[in-house]
Amino acid sequence: MLNRQVFRRLFLPALTLLAVAENCVAQKDSIFLSPVTVFGFVPERFMSGLKVQKIDSVTIEQFRFRNIADLLSLNTPVIFKNYGPGQLSTVAFRGTASNHTAVLWNGLNINLPTLGQTDFSTIPVAGFDQLSVQYGSSASIVGTDAVGGSILLSSSKPEAGLQVMIGRQQESFRNSQTQATIKFGTRLNSTWNFSGKTAAYDGNMNNRYRHPERNGEAISPSTTFQKGLVQDLFFSNNKHELSAHVWLTDNKLTNNPENLAGRQMTRIKSYRTMLRYEIEGWTVRTSWIRDIIDYAIGDYSTLDHAVTDRYGIRGERTFEWKVGKSGSTIQMQTGSEFTHYKTQVENYERPVITENRGDFFILTRWQTTSRLLISANLRQALVTGYNPPFTPSLGAEYRLIQNLPYSIKLKGSVGRSYRVPTLNERYWKDLGNPNIKPENGFNKEAGAEAGYVLNKIHSFTANLTAYHNRIDNWTYWNPTNNFRVENLQMVIARGAEMQFGWKGNWEYWKFGGMLNYALTSTSQEKTFDAYASDIVGKQLPHIPLHTGNVTMFMQYKNFRLTNQLQIISKRYTTADHSQSVPAYMLENLIIETNFNRPHFRASLQGRVNNVSNTFYQTINGNPMPGRSFAVSLLLSAKTIR
Amino acid sequence: MKKQLTRILTVTLISAIAWSCNQSDPAPKGTYVQGVFVINEGNFSQNNGNISFLTREKNIADSDIFSIVNGSSLKGGMQGYAVAGDHGIILVDNSNPGSDKVEIVDANLFTSTGSIGAPDIENPREVVAIGSTKAYVTNWGILNSDYSYPAGYIAVIDLATKKVVKKITTDKGPENLVLHNNKIFVGNYDYSEGKNLTVINTTSDEVINSIPFTEEPNPIGVDANGKLWVQAGLDLIRINPDTYEKETTIKISTDMSKSASNFAMSPDLRTIYFVLGDFTRGETYKFQITDTAVNLATPFAKRMFSGLAVDPRQGLIYAGVTPSYTQSGYAIRYRADGTLVDSVKVGIAPTGFYFR
Repeated sequence: MLNRQVFRRLFLPALTLLAVAENCVAQKDSIFLSPVTVFGFVPERFMSGLKVQKIDSVTIEQFRFRNIADLLSLNTPVIFKNYGPGQLSTVAFRGTASNHTAVLWNGLNINLPTLGQTDFSTIPVAGFDQLSVQYGSSASIVGTDAVGGSILLSSSKPEAGLQVMIGRQQESFRNSQTQATIKFGTRLNSTWNFSGKTAAYDGNMNNRYRHPERNGEAISPSTTFQKGLVQDLFFSNNKHELSAHVWLTDNKLTNNPENLAGRQMTRIKSYRTMLRYEIEGWTVRTSWIRDIIDYAIGDYSTLDHAVTDRYGIRGERTFEWKVGKSGSTIQMQTGSEFTHYKTQVENYERPVITENRGDFFILTRWQTTSRLLISANLRQALVTGYNPPFTPSLGAEYRLIQNLPYSIKLKGSVGRSYRVPTLNERYWKDLGNPNIKPENGFNKEAGAEAGYVLNKIHSFTANLTAYHNRIDNWTYWNPTNNFRVENLQMVIARGAEMQFGWKGNWEYWKFGGMLNYALTSTSQEKTFDAYASDIVGKQLPHIPLHTGNVTMFMQYKNFRLTNQLQIISKRYTTADHSQSVPAYMLENLIIETNFNRPHFRASLQGRVNNVSNTFYQTINGNPMPGRSFAVSLLLSAKTIR
Repeated sequence: MKKQLTRILTVTLISAIAWSCNQSDPAPKGTYVQGVFVINEGNFSQNNGNISFLTREKNIADSDIFSIVNGSSLKGGMQGYAVAGDHGIILVDNSNPGSDKVEIVDANLFTSTGSIGAPDIENPREVVAIGSTKAYVTNWGILNSDYSYPAGYIAVIDLATKKVVKKITTDKGPENLVLHNNKIFVGNYDYSEGKNLTVINTTSDEVINSIPFTEEPNPIGVDANGKLWVQAGLDLIRINPDTYEKETTIKISTDMSKSASNFAMSPDLRTIYFVLGDFTRGETYKFQITDTAVNLATPFAKRMFSGLAVDPRQGLIYAGVTPSYTQSGYAIRYRADGTLVDSVKVGIAPTGFYFR
């Protein structure tokens, strides 16, 4: 009797969703639904046992005119090493280095291959539809770089009808961003559907500070101009889906723009394109990415120009078996990927360098019982010249309690990881090392997720994870060996993450809060020279031991007030802890309202950044700006038939 | 911080007592009246250079004395330090163009008394002081966009008014300065393509000669016989500072993969110490002014250093060690016979020493 009740409670929401779906199908000529595409875009499916945080659409909407680094630092424990507003922003995920986070766009790694990392200041939230953050090593699933974690960006298929959006944000310091989006979905004939999205964004950060000094120190002047174009197209029927994806970005940063002899320009242009075809469990994907980096000081007539192309093809097959009559199912995805790299960098040992990389993988997901889910994944990567280690992982999730109002899920995962050396590490003239070995890691983690629905009004969630990640052959540009890169270090990163959430929903009033805390202890453990004893065992520079953020909101009808707090503990700026910068707390306030009509919607947002005018510094010790303001308006119109 | 304060207070107290016992004349008072100043260049992009201070009898240095005294750091890489009268002159090279400066402090207390910034000061490199109110600072200026060097200049500073009173144009990449008999000999940075040694009259502050070399010249000092020694590439050249005649040239080494750097002269002006090596390994050698060749068979120390200087008071050799640019360096002290005295932890990238 009890079991039946539990069953009903658990599945009721799902049934409601299904019912909605059926309704949609019923309105035949207005809205269509195609089979849900899960496999190609969703590596999360095989990440059982790992912690994956899906950023909800409300948050993405709230950060629509901002940068992904802002969103992640206020909603996750991911740390960014930032050089100033609109300037280079690199990531430190779970105590690892900036090249230990894989950034995937629709499943494709978009880290710059020369640097093996992404400058997060070049990725505005306007460039993608969905965002998930996966914690810990997942190299067996996503490949190289996924040592500390991975950031999964993806496009979503637009609904039927036509929707047009236009928006603008105006900020302090004469900064602004404009964006426009068109989404459409239509039925081509009785079986085929066609949908797509075109989005463009244009950001201007002039950074004209009214007070160019803080605490007597000059804020380093810079401007950033950022443009982007996103194009997604989907053709589908119930068996086939063909989709094309394009994301063009152009980011131009100028340091000291007024100083004509000393100004410094970094322009990163990326053309990312992808074609996917999916039919009954088979998926083929081709891709081409070109990254162009131009750099100049003073006179811009001759640029330091670097171009890297990546041509990729990936094929995979998904199988699903039912095991007996227990309801137990096994899904398996097996496939391979091949990428040809071609790079032209002035300071490389040869003018044109090519490299081939291949990957073979088998991913499995076994729902053994309704309580237990197991994932086992295997990957072998092959790279011109050497082979990264064989990379297996094993993860499991167990629903310990699933009786509403309580639910507790236990998770655990062990896995190897690797990082293929960057093109700079291999080919940089004199400093690079053609014999550099791939870094390899071993990650273990365990955690629990709990939910508690007190009543119709209050619900609570909690999440706790502990991890231990050992990364060996960690590369080091060795100053005592003329900065040649060597596999000298071994880093152990360990820590814990906690997340608590509360939601209270009354009739007109809504309240909520989300608290994130992370303890990150990460240190170099290998003695490689006589002076390494000054740094061995000490927290890596620029990574705080404690970080936290709190988001609280209250909503009354269409008005929502959000308070965002970010807390960063003391950070050492040198490896031997001889220098440090103090802890700080930042606070932002957001007020939003919207106006809704069936065909039309307007959302207005006002924001105060750094409410308390806190003094804090960039990674190179320059002050960050104080309090600033932003207002944004988004207008959206859509068809309803 | 508290420890450092206590230490400073103790040192101050001891030196104050010592001074009050020994001296009857009104003597300068302050923590930094006597001792060794270590110029820690820092990690350039982090603008975190500083100056450490140690008294000769101790083997622990106070790090970043400017911050201790003034409550804020110097915000840049440290390029040089010199004292003129009661003025301390600190060269600060910030990674942002237009943010370089010469910070002027009270030499005895290290309290800031003023600073001179752009456009007078751009990429300051080295400093010498004359008398109690005048200092000469070599400046590269802003480098060309292809990283080549424009003609540099010397900023002549009047410390009384804290102003640059004159800019004297030099060859490209001006670096080391040697002062001798109302003349300053100005050398140039190794990769600057500035191959002339500029001679300046310190009375008129005019260029009076420009001596050509085949490689960038680096003046080392004037020896016990009144002769100027200049290093250019792998040559050591002895010059008559009055007639500018090149009297003798000694080949340091024929191994072109190596370069010689960090030259320092002993207090008796008869020995020259230097480092010879490629970028990864090398040794430290010494050379007598009467030698006809460098004895490469027996190095003074079988390692390289990022800085080298000899204390004129005690004759100990101070050698800077830079394990990396993200951790503290060390100052290793040697006796003139090459035996080790001790090792003192200092700041990041110790490249120079100033003795008082």
